[in-house]
Amino acid sequence: MANIREIQSRINSVRDTMKITNAMYMISSSKMTQAKKKLMDTEPYFYALQGEISRILRHLPELEHPFFDKRGKIPAEERKIGSIVVTADKGLAGAYNHNVVKLEEEILSRPGSHKLFVVGELGRHYFAKRGVEIDTNFQYTVQKPTMHRARDIAGALLEQFQSGDLDEIYIVYTRMENSVQSEAEVMKLLPLERSSFNEMKMPLNVYREEIDLYPSAEAVMDSIVPNYVTGMIYGCLVQAYASEHNARMMAMKSATDSAESLIHDLSVIYNRVRQAAITQEITEVCGGARAQQK
Amino acid sequence: MDTFGLKIIASDKVFYDGRCRKMVIPAPDGEKGILPNHENMVIAVTVGIGRMEAEEGKWQEVALGGGFAEIVNNRVTLIVDTAERPEDIDIRHAREQREHAEEKLRQKQSTQEYYHTQASLARAMNRLRLAQDKKWNL
Repeated sequence: MANIREIQSRINSVRDTMKITNAMYMISSSKMTQAKKKLMDTEPYFYALQGEISRILRHLPELEHPFFDKRGKIPAEERKIGSIVVTADKGLAGAYNHNVVKLEEEILSRPGSHKLFVVGELGRHYFAKRGVEIDTNFQYTVQKPTMHRARDIAGALLEQFQSGDLDEIYIVYTRMENSVQSEAEVMKLLPLERSSFNEMKMPLNVYREEIDLYPSAEAVMDSIVPNYVTGMIYGCLVQAYASEHNARMMAMKSATDSAESLIHDLSVIYNRVRQAAITQEITEVCGGARAQQK
Repeated sequence: MDTFGLKIIASDKVFYDGRCRKMVIPAPDGEKGILPNHENMVIAVTVGIGRMEAEEGKWQEVALGGGFAEIVNNRVTLIVDTAERPEDIDIRHAREQREHAEEKLRQKQSTQEYYHTQASLARAMNRLRLAQDKKWNL
């Protein structure tokens, strides 16, 4: 059995670690409440935007616009695929980063030349080590997502898409399913896919209102699509931020719990060792006394 | 007078949801007025100042960011980047924003960055224009 002092110092070190994990748990849970509020504030915008695009497309199915151009002529091997990868700035969040990285690896295994836009330190380090092409001008953190940052990111990507430097753009992020579950997900940002907007099937005999686009369909799409992409990126950043803190909260909670059970086990052993030492001492004293009586 | 349903959705909140009598929004080629029972239409909205008359004779000004307005069946949905009342605008922040944008415009940058700063300058100027002639900001 271990030395009494060894056990004592072990208990102390576990207790110190527990203090840290507990503090991190509390930080994450407070950040998570903020992130959730942000998420709730943006949701109406996010969904209204999606709904409007789908409505306009329904009314103008023949609309031609560069953002819908699939560039089908380019063969799969020569397609330039860009992906935004949203990871955390640090680990200690369970499988959160791992899940995102795994999804991105799947995209990387597809044919075509890949370019990564990584948001978050951890992912940047990982993919830099792996030797994938990363846009080095793309230095954004995941802390406190703002509309401004989303606008920056969207601007950079739209420009590369329009100039032909990228043919497809994906975003890999973690979506909050509900308050306890989150899941890593890949979403296609550009080119816009008609099918993903046409979920609502309209019966043929229903009257469809005619909608005029002012000043022109082009101008309206030009003002909606960049907004849509920005809104999507912002939504994803907020979702990822909330999931990150959710994951960290869970991880830290389980760490604190296991530290508690460890301390419990250790203090049982500690008490047992202490008791054994006392018993031994008493036996020794008794033995000594009896020897003197004789 | 007739009214129409108006919903203004900004990226961070639902700015307004209710009835409205008249409204003027900034379009790429000038202002556009909306009266009740307007023709169905989708209008691109640029950065500028919009006005709405929710109660008779009471015009409320709003600083709008880029986006678009959709009019269907006498319901108007305005989906924009930002929507702010004059009293909510932080004039100091807006001024800093403008200075920052002007500073950046003077530096060498790519076309894309140029458009970017130009847009953010437009937003800052718009905020200032609306906020500056209100006396509570003095």
